[in-house]
Amino acid sequence: MNLKRAIYAISAMALLVGLWGIYVRLTTGHREAAYGSYVVWGLWVAMYLFFAGISAGAFMISTLDLLFHVKIFKGTGRIALWLGLVSLVAALLSIWLDLGHMERIWKVYLQGDLGSVMAQMVWGYTLFGLLMLVSLYLAIRNPLSRLLRLLMLIGLPLSLFVSGAVGALLGVEASRLFWHVGLLPVQFPVFSLASGTAAMLVVIGLFGSDESPNRSEQLWVLAIATVVLAVVKLYFLWADFSQSMYGNVPQNVDAVRAVLYGPYWWAFWILQILLGTLVPIIVLAQPKLARHNSWAGWMGVLVLLGFAVARANIVFPALTVPEIQALTTAFTGPHLSFDYFPSLMEWAVTSGIVGLAVLAFLIGEERLPLRGKEVA
Amino acid sequence: MLEVLEQQDVLVRMHAELQRALKKKPEERRWVMVIDLRKCVGCHACTIACIAENKLPPGVVYRPVLDEEFGSYPNVTRRFIPRPCMQCDEPPCVPVCPVNATYKNEEGVTVVDYDQCIGCRYCITACPYGARTFDFGLTYTENTPDRLPFLFGQSNADDYERRANYEYGEIRQREGEKSPIGNVRKCHFCLHRLAEGMLPACTTTCIGRATLFGDANDPDSLVAEMIARPNVMRLKEELGTEPRVYYLV
Repeated sequence: MNLKRAIYAISAMALLVGLWGIYVRLTTGHREAAYGSYVVWGLWVAMYLFFAGISAGAFMISTLDLLFHVKIFKGTGRIALWLGLVSLVAALLSIWLDLGHMERIWKVYLQGDLGSVMAQMVWGYTLFGLLMLVSLYLAIRNPLSRLLRLLMLIGLPLSLFVSGAVGALLGVEASRLFWHVGLLPVQFPVFSLASGTAAMLVVIGLFGSDESPNRSEQLWVLAIATVVLAVVKLYFLWADFSQSMYGNVPQNVDAVRAVLYGPYWWAFWILQILLGTLVPIIVLAQPKLARHNSWAGWMGVLVLLGFAVARANIVFPALTVPEIQALTTAFTGPHLSFDYFPSLMEWAVTSGIVGLAVLAFLIGEERLPLRGKEVA
Repeated sequence: MLEVLEQQDVLVRMHAELQRALKKKPEERRWVMVIDLRKCVGCHACTIACIAENKLPPGVVYRPVLDEEFGSYPNVTRRFIPRPCMQCDEPPCVPVCPVNATYKNEEGVTVVDYDQCIGCRYCITACPYGARTFDFGLTYTENTPDRLPFLFGQSNADDYERRANYEYGEIRQREGEKSPIGNVRKCHFCLHRLAEGMLPACTTTCIGRATLFGDANDPDSLVAEMIARPNVMRLKEELGTEPRVYYLV
């Protein structure tokens, strides 16, 4: 209970900081941002990828209860849907604030070009969000309805599509070799499932009910899934990076080197690999620790931290490598730099979005009937 | 020597060709830019002319000049490559736009509809030439001291910066967060000047006449003659973007 209070307090403070950031963003536009015309996408885009991944992953996990009726996951469907919904709102808020003209977002719906991967993604996530909202309503009101099963059945491939579309958003860019990986849309649903699984470890481990008879087993299954997905993620990284280095195309090699040995090497090696991957693998591979509420929950937090850094390490490096080397010195001015570290305003906005998401999740978890009655 | 002096300035020829091209239907023209790297001295006059013509704010540039250095002493050389938008025939920036805000107009020039652009910047990431920049809403005179005894003309400069430019033939004043602030911007071959029978600002300003412009569909035009030469190349041709900017090397 003390932990929950502490998280409430920290989240509220984060939200307060975020309100300042959003105020600055809304009154000064993008002037205070550190991203520019070369590194055009920054922290908010990375956080969009991060939250969107959790959202799709959480939905996938919710199907274990609400579609496939896996006994061990009884009663977790609604909380997973709520997690997915809150994460999606956080993702969309993050990317909305990143737009140059926020007031024109309606154009994507009414005047959009569905040939654009971005438009497809916006439409996909909108439908996905509505589907999650209706599914949650039904899961609370009428968990045995056929419509709910139908929605979950439609939602499962849709969750794969939307998470894959984020990969495609980057993958179609032939001018950025670091992103132009054919299998990126295949990798992203795996990343989504992994981050959704980790988020559920946090939800069940740190905020789960002591009365739930399956809690220990749920943690164990989620832990195994987390370990397997972490190993798969490492394999993807190895495959990507080793092929890029072996291929030796300068633009691609430079991007990989920026991740491995660049100024933010510590984010990759310490946060993403050590804390976000290796430590959770070691801890969660031990049944006793994996079944322990706090251990499992905190390992989930570490995996999520690793994923947040991983999103940044996908978005930024490709943009920090000049399309033409001489561009770096051709013309100087504000927002014309190939170096990037988020500004205070960017951090503040992200802190606010994280705070808002955590608060919304906790309030919903307490106030909405998301636990208790078991489905099926 | 006398023969050289008697030669007609290429600007005069290109201007005449421009008038000829403007009599054709827009879709029958093929605007092309040819940049002779052997004549470019790296003076950046084209960059400055472009900024002045389009009243570009800080951080927005349409035509930087890349400065490359080769070799080691004593065999050292420098090369200057002006880099406008390549006006690709297969532009990677166009299909990614979620709202059709950037497209090729009937003359084949890739344009941006400032009122349609949502500022997602996806097109910037798609351009292999780094030819697009985002307008962050800055001004050169912002936060500069006003009415200092020795700083003459500050308020006039500020006023000048906010006065309308005429890109795409539209009158747009810089105020608040109105477009083009919050939009992606790029070189458009000075379409507003072409419409008035004038060559692009970078072309008329080039001191070495290194930048040539015209209708490649006109077989008698200077640019059509130049791009048929064997010493012509385009940037990143391997990407299949089919740029309309050619370099003579």
